[in-house]
Amino acid sequence: MDELLQEFISETQETLEALAGEVVAWEADPSDRDRLDAIFRFFHTVKGSCGFLNLPRFERLSHAAEDVLSDIRAGNRRPDPATVSAVLGIMDRIGELTEAVAIGAALPSENDDFLIGALSARGEEPEQVVEVAPVAMARSGGAQSGPRTIRLPLSLIDQLMNGVSDMVLARNELSRKLRERSADPELDNVFERLSTCVADMRDVISKTRMQRVDRLFAAIPRMVRDLGRDLGKRIDLSLEGGDVEMDREMVEMVVDPLTHIVRNSIDHGIETPEKRRAAGKPEVGRLRLEARQSGNQIVIAIADDGAGIDTARLVDKAIAAGRLTPDAAARMSEQDKLDLIFHAGLSTASKVTAISGRGVGMDVVRANVERIGGVIALDNQPGQGLCITLRVPLTLTIIPGLIVRAGGQHFAIPRAAVVEILHDNNETLHISEVGGAKIATIRAVRHSMVDLEDVLGMEKPAQQGPRAIMVVRSATGVPFAMGVSTVDNHEELVIRPASPLVMATGVYAGMTLPDNGKPMLLLDAAGLANAARLPNIIDDRAARQQEEAAVAQTGVEMVAALRFEELSGERRLLKLSLIERVEDIDAGLFGRSGGRAFVRLDGRLVPVANGLSQFDRGKVSALRLRDDRREACYPVAAVLDIVQMPAVPDMVAMHGMLSGVAVIEGEHLEVINPFALFAALPEEAMVERVRGRCLLADSNDGWTREILAPLLRQAGHEVLLGLPGDSLVDPEDVVLCTEADAMQAAEIMGCRVVHLRASPRPAGPQDGSIYRYDQDALMAAIAGRRG
Amino acid sequence: MDQLYLLATLAGTRIAVETGEVEAVVRLTEVSPVPGMGAHIAGLSALRSRVLTIVDVAALIRGQATPVEQRGLAIIANISGHSYGLMVDGVSDICRVPDGALPLRGQLDPAWAPYARALVEHEGHPWLLVSLAAFIEGGALAQAA
Repeated sequence: MDELLQEFISETQETLEALAGEVVAWEADPSDRDRLDAIFRFFHTVKGSCGFLNLPRFERLSHAAEDVLSDIRAGNRRPDPATVSAVLGIMDRIGELTEAVAIGAALPSENDDFLIGALSARGEEPEQVVEVAPVAMARSGGAQSGPRTIRLPLSLIDQLMNGVSDMVLARNELSRKLRERSADPELDNVFERLSTCVADMRDVISKTRMQRVDRLFAAIPRMVRDLGRDLGKRIDLSLEGGDVEMDREMVEMVVDPLTHIVRNSIDHGIETPEKRRAAGKPEVGRLRLEARQSGNQIVIAIADDGAGIDTARLVDKAIAAGRLTPDAAARMSEQDKLDLIFHAGLSTASKVTAISGRGVGMDVVRANVERIGGVIALDNQPGQGLCITLRVPLTLTIIPGLIVRAGGQHFAIPRAAVVEILHDNNETLHISEVGGAKIATIRAVRHSMVDLEDVLGMEKPAQQGPRAIMVVRSATGVPFAMGVSTVDNHEELVIRPASPLVMATGVYAGMTLPDNGKPMLLLDAAGLANAARLPNIIDDRAARQQEEAAVAQTGVEMVAALRFEELSGERRLLKLSLIERVEDIDAGLFGRSGGRAFVRLDGRLVPVANGLSQFDRGKVSALRLRDDRREACYPVAAVLDIVQMPAVPDMVAMHGMLSGVAVIEGEHLEVINPFALFAALPEEAMVERVRGRCLLADSNDGWTREILAPLLRQAGHEVLLGLPGDSLVDPEDVVLCTEADAMQAAEIMGCRVVHLRASPRPAGPQDGSIYRYDQDALMAAIAGRRG
Repeated sequence: MDQLYLLATLAGTRIAVETGEVEAVVRLTEVSPVPGMGAHIAGLSALRSRVLTIVDVAALIRGQATPVEQRGLAIIANISGHSYGLMVDGVSDICRVPDGALPLRGQLDPAWAPYARALVEHEGHPWLLVSLAAFIEGGALAQAA
């Protein structure tokens, strides 16, 4: 009996969940017979089973609903909104009763008669004043009938999963043992097969934990309808991507944030029909939920066409709450202002409403999303709408992580939390210490710096080689720099929850068991920042902006400059904007002709700005410079870093290659004068005039334009698409063509022709053409035929 | 009243644990430390594919960590969904005690007070009946917080 009851309860709960959306869809389109039938069937089943199980209240409720629905089916009654509400009311009551039966509580004793009375009220009451807001629903990709399924207890699946994990570990150990023994190819083959089976099995088992996003969306239509009715708003809801799958636990974690965002959007985002009309928008507001998979993330976008977020009001509120000073607010960017919505206790809602103003704000939503390794982003179009994007990992359990070593021990850190990794001997990094606080300056941005060993209270063993500095972005705060011994590698980690004892430290987010069988802890970036008591967001940002403002006030215009070391040993600066890129060039490519140094790059000759052509090393770092027309190459000993230098040097010298001296961090550096540098270059372009142009006869052919032409240009040829008029053809020119008639035309013009063909094999012994992907032959043909 | 007890020594004291609480007793192999925690958390250890949080119960009581070389046996228990290993000095027996739990007598050392529930009489000696869950929930978590 118990088993039957259990079966009944879970079946009813499941159908209820699925039906909530159907009823709403049916209300929007009362002629939809399929949906009506589905709802009718539900009540019919409930009635049948509970008669058998002796649940009289269920029976009465479902019987009443069934009667009304059968009237509607027979066409004796119209499904008006009041009826739909009454049917929904009965479904809710059945849901409550089921819940009560499931936990064995006393059945809530509200009066069912009222609900049943509402059903038979048959729309005699006058039409409601508030215009009813039917929720039009378009559900794409949601199948009506699913594949065959069975119900399994979750614990069984977990057990299965543990079994498979054990198997994987056993396999790894076996593999180690096998490697120690002599190699036997036959044994290896068998083992390989076993390995594949185990891996496949692990994949399949992890799929059993997946669930369609449909379940996440199931409650949304009903909620939208009810809220819309309560608030007198008309909403057109569309749900997309319900067939995307994500981890069961993940679905549960996302339900709350998603519900909250949808509530917000209806309550504060979408305006009332009158306001929308006044704003020139359609009366029916649009709300769009869309789920899709992107790599190992699920992206859920919630977009409405409502009023968007009023950032000015947010800022006012923040100032009123004393969280922001007016001048700090004035310096904030629009995005910073928008981010204020994530601060606790700030909301644009002018009054607390029953719908979303219950003290649970976007801060909680963000915290919840970030706790599961997700990211939340806003795209605000004031007056036009708001789009909120949630990105959450596919599963809670597998995340890409970095393995780091600190204090002789390994730790994992989520890959998503790490912005960049540097070695502490990197030139762009400068670590200073003041009053016990460590500050890492990376490319002129100051970060709080901590050593992982210090935060965790470990010994810092002496080590050879540089330490690694990671810039870590905690979920809620500013990025900070964290020093570790080394960053070992990058792995997909299976994360499991750590015991509450371990979690109580606040610096760990979980643990993982790598293949070597030694448990490893997963670090929590936000927790580390907390544990190290690093300064929080607003203060830091305001302080930084103040500093920037202070620099601006002193009136010195700063420009970015590259600090480098000359081959002769001096350290000099050059304005960064002139440098196209920095690259290592083979010393052999440098040469000297006619008293000028040049370097051969991509088949062109580029002048060398400082006239050097002999080097004592194989590879030379070179700055590639460019003014609006010409380019030059500037070989240096080493590129040091990028610094801010005053636009006007501290000491000005108006002649020669140097424009003056600038003092950067106490060091006197000569500043190269770009004017003099380019002026000293040879005026005539350094083109080997011996070569003619390449005329591409088939200029309309896509292959010729998109593949051949770039190749030739890269090789340094001047390329002309199409055949010019006869007078312009130079005997030095080479015509490339694929069509035979173009070839004749070219021959008439009197210049050499290279004939290309598309097939790798020649058509016959007479065929002098070249396969078009045979680059060597092609280049030789162009060069060779040029007499 | 005919209850099975696991008899062990812990921090030099005879203790008894209801076998219902005990999943297994294992010899500890490798324990990876958890930095940033008090002495009472010895670290994490893998038992096949499970990860155990190893609690140094003696440290919880005496406030001093057990040296690594003296680490021997651990009682495995599942407490509110997580697997723990509780380090003990030694395990002597699993036996049925006809009298069952007897009320505590005498003045109990305050260090033991939160964990001891009763006495168990076996072969003429009193054994302190302790609850493993109390070590985790009462002691270790309180110290960690």
